[in-house]
Amino acid sequence: MADLLAIEGLSAGYGRAVVLSDVSLRLAEGEALAVLGRNGVGKTTLIDSIVGVTRRISGSILLGGRDIAALPPEQRAALGVGWVPQERNIFRSLSVEENITAVARPGPWSLQRVFDFFPRLKERRHQAGSSLSGGEQQMLAIGRALATNPRLLLLDEPTEGLAPIIVEELLRVLTALFRDEGLTGIIVEQQARKILPITHRALILERGQVVHAGASGELLADAAMLERHLGVTAG
Amino acid sequence: MPSATLLGQALISGVLAGGMYGLLALGLSLSWGLLRLVNLSHFALAFLAAYLTYELGTNYHVAPWWSAMLIVPAMFAMGLAQHWIFDKFKVNELASLLITFSFAIILEVAIQLYWTADYRRYETHYSTMSFKVGPFYIPVLELILCLVAGVLAWGTWLWLRKTYVGKALRAAAEDADIAAAYGVDHKKLAYLLSGMGAAYAGIAGTFIALIATLAPAQIWTWLGVVFAVVIIGRLGNPLGALFAGMLIGASESIAMAVLSPAWAPVVSFSLLIVILLWDPEWL
Repeated sequence: MADLLAIEGLSAGYGRAVVLSDVSLRLAEGEALAVLGRNGVGKTTLIDSIVGVTRRISGSILLGGRDIAALPPEQRAALGVGWVPQERNIFRSLSVEENITAVARPGPWSLQRVFDFFPRLKERRHQAGSSLSGGEQQMLAIGRALATNPRLLLLDEPTEGLAPIIVEELLRVLTALFRDEGLTGIIVEQQARKILPITHRALILERGQVVHAGASGELLADAAMLERHLGVTAG
Repeated sequence: MPSATLLGQALISGVLAGGMYGLLALGLSLSWGLLRLVNLSHFALAFLAAYLTYELGTNYHVAPWWSAMLIVPAMFAMGLAQHWIFDKFKVNELASLLITFSFAIILEVAIQLYWTADYRRYETHYSTMSFKVGPFYIPVLELILCLVAGVLAWGTWLWLRKTYVGKALRAAAEDADIAAAYGVDHKKLAYLLSGMGAAYAGIAGTFIALIATLAPAQIWTWLGVVFAVVIIGRLGNPLGALFAGMLIGASESIAMAVLSPAWAPVVSFSLLIVILLWDPEWL
């Protein structure tokens, strides 16, 4: 399948700090990639660099063959980069429905389809974004990104800070999106064992560099690798 | 204690006068609330529009509603030009206060150079027209002003809530970076809103020409009270601006009737302080 995303030799950071160094990756249409690594290794910087909110030092980011590395975030979004930020960043003064419709673009993910996917959001459609629980905010953040009808969906630590029961619900949602709907995306996660069964491929970052890239299933089976790079023990 | 009729008349006159506060506050509230730009030149633009209405009316006999067809789009263009400067120099909230103060001074001087510092009055046969409802007189022009302000405030409120552009503007006002990452082109929307704000100043100016006596220094007359209106009405809330305008107008008018005219200016700021301290939930 053709590559939807191709990153070559990307170095990027914030201000004077260089966080990512010479990162390359490819993502085919319909593929889901898990980006794993300990805290502070550059996972969020990688996502932020695709969104366009970091300082790029060198390298290219091709989306559907077009280099988007020099474009501002709004143009990248218009070309199909959908983002679910780590902080969720719900527009607190807008209602649930307005959060979605304020950024929606035409495509298969209509407001109704987002509501069908997240019935809880439909129930709360007129409530202010600020009144939602953490799990609901995460659902809204995903629904809002879907409503932009992205070609590439980027999720930054979607399970962070959520209660275990909500995490399970969220994982079901992600499975439906990436396994059943065939969305193309990157999921940054700390919980490797939970996210690897959902994704097709995985890469591990250490100190801003890719130290492992391969099939998610193989990594899941490689206890030694998980232990060495992520400190994940068997279980 | 004044009679009930006098109080009723004071209330009606005050609410109608408050329509002007609301109309002036509308554009200011939008740019302050949604773009984080405090636009002091809003008042000067309104007066420039008023002088132009006066000029076209007295020297060229153009009716004010026809003048408005020319002046309001011209003000929209001035709003765009002004925003180009904000955009080019990445002006923040505090700097906008200083820069637009300078714009206002420049416009004041320009007005003074062309029209001199003399008082000007645009006399029309309808400026003093009124009709009677029971014991109360209703001035026609002020009533039309209130209706126009009401339509604009409602229209803008609906526009901000129901249209994609309006919702995107509100999202960007809350978090411009996140909105941009979702594809909201905040810069383009900011130009549109700046143009709209200036166009609203143009509409206010048409009514100022018909209702008030013009002098360059009058630019600053409504500054304090309109600022209070914008804050009481909540930044970026068009309906709030209108209701706050009418609330302050009515309070001032009743204070003048019950106490003395000298008390009027105290009212708006006392109300502002009380409401800020009280911080009611509906605000």
